Amino acid sequence: MNKSKQLGKRNRRDMAILFLPAMLCIAAVVVFPLAYSLILSFTDTNLRSQGLGDFVGLKNYITALTDEYFRKSIFTTLKYTVVSVVFELCIGYLIAALLNRVGRGRELFFSIIIVPMMISCVAVGMIWRLLLHPELGIVNYVIECLGGTGRAWYGDASLALGTLIFIDVWQETPYMSLLILAGLVSLPKDPYEAAIIEGANGVQTFFRITLPLMKPTLIVATLLRAIGALKTYDLVYVVTKGGPGVSTEVMTYNIYKQAYQYLNTGRAAAMSYILLLIVMAISVFFVKMSRRE
Amino acid sequence: MFKMRTRKRIADAFTYAALILISLFFLLPILWVLRTSLVTKQIAYQIPPDWSAPFTLDNYITIFSENNFGQYFLNSLIVSLASTLISIALGSMAAYWLARRKSKGIGLRVGVLSVQMLPAIVLVIPLFNVMTNIGLKNTHLGLIITYLSFNLPYVIWMLLSFIESVPEELDDAAEIDGCSKFQTYARVVFPIIAPGIIAAGVLSFLNSWNEFMFALVLTGNETRTIPVSVAAMETQQGVQIAELCASVIVVIIPVAVLSLFVRKYLVRGLAFGSIK
Repeated sequence: MNKSKQLGKRNRRDMAILFLPAMLCIAAVVVFPLAYSLILSFTDTNLRSQGLGDFVGLKNYITALTDEYFRKSIFTTLKYTVVSVVFELCIGYLIAALLNRVGRGRELFFSIIIVPMMISCVAVGMIWRLLLHPELGIVNYVIECLGGTGRAWYGDASLALGTLIFIDVWQETPYMSLLILAGLVSLPKDPYEAAIIEGANGVQTFFRITLPLMKPTLIVATLLRAIGALKTYDLVYVVTKGGPGVSTEVMTYNIYKQAYQYLNTGRAAAMSYILLLIVMAISVFFVKMSRRE
Repeated sequence: MFKMRTRKRIADAFTYAALILISLFFLLPILWVLRTSLVTKQIAYQIPPDWSAPFTLDNYITIFSENNFGQYFLNSLIVSLASTLISIALGSMAAYWLARRKSKGIGLRVGVLSVQMLPAIVLVIPLFNVMTNIGLKNTHLGLIITYLSFNLPYVIWMLLSFIESVPEELDDAAEIDGCSKFQTYARVVFPIIAPGIIAAGVLSFLNSWNEFMFALVLTGNETRTIPVSVAAMETQQGVQIAELCASVIVVIIPVAVLSLFVRKYLVRGLAFGSIK
């Protein structure tokens, strides 16, 4: 009895030394801000006046959801996320499968392919802004040399979102490939040997064996990228600033504008909580999907 | 048999050809920016490009001498390094405690993981108000603390799997010899997971180095980090293509060098250990 009491005391002391400092930090920079922001979202706090504003109940949420531009930004964000993640998944799988086939040179290809995903979105945005510049960019020059006509890739409202998606695919496909390659490398060998004996062809092997075995990896990779795409901000800020018009205004950009251009922090907090809810809903959906079987 | 071998050769040739094309697709844009950063201002504007132009380091000299880029570089370095070191110190201890608990603490683990998923904008709005109120806006310290919000959970999550691969018998042996839990961690476990510590450190350094939104809101003229200054370059002076390219390369170089070192650990670091 005495001994176990002593042990309990020791455990508590260990926790205080090892675990508590990190938890206090996380409480201070994550949990507290989240709670503070939740309170903000029910007030009309703004940056024009000092301190916390008056309690306004659900008004901020209602205003946000009835705001035409915010609703449009939700739609833009979803479109951006779905299209870019689908492309990244397909191209990423293809690259991973190719890398998985080669023995010699894999390390070299791998090192080259991962570069885009490691560099900052700001740098990536700038690189493509320069390359796709209508007059000074190399891309339009190459297109014209090949007999096509150059476009205003990010200055034309009908092309800008597509251009951003293209840049996202350029930057994030390597990430997808990396995760998928890790999954492919660790696939068990036995089912494939059985498939060869039974005379299954390549297509059958892929759909009956590889795909089911890869499902967990693919779901996790898709979820991680989908969350990344929902949070996109840097790329939009650097390449289009939400424009032309509001054609590329994603949620984060719309929220940022509400907070630091129109200075309505309370309302922006409510909008950020709506974004958070969407992210959570999608995560729950994917987790449910991976558990189903 | 012969036929099968030829077929395999053809498939291999296609694979290599495809991989070379894919590599070029990912590499050429960066190489083009590198080239543009190394020619004179006038040549940088020229379309069609002048392929025979001599290389010069003038643009790099200009951004560091005239645009205060040295200061921004230093700011990024201070903030990223400090935040990473604090995260490693606190995060590795927390990961050790979490890994060695009797109950697995699934709730705590999921909590740590889900902090990773938070959109930065959700934290930017409250943290901006808080930092303004306590006078830490526009300081290195304010940004260092803010970066703990993503670095700390990241380090904890990444190191968990490293620590779990260290056999617990080693801990027991150390504790029988009279080590406290902290001493066991510092003298036995920490040295063993050193590769993991370095990988987690490098990746969290890179996360901080590349971070944009917090830095945009929480820094001013003197404390600005490199990504913020790169994003601001174009609006300040129109399109100074050559200098802009040089500044983009300055952002990329540390990343390219460091990522070579952690290549092995990327999957572990980027999938947050969720793939096993």
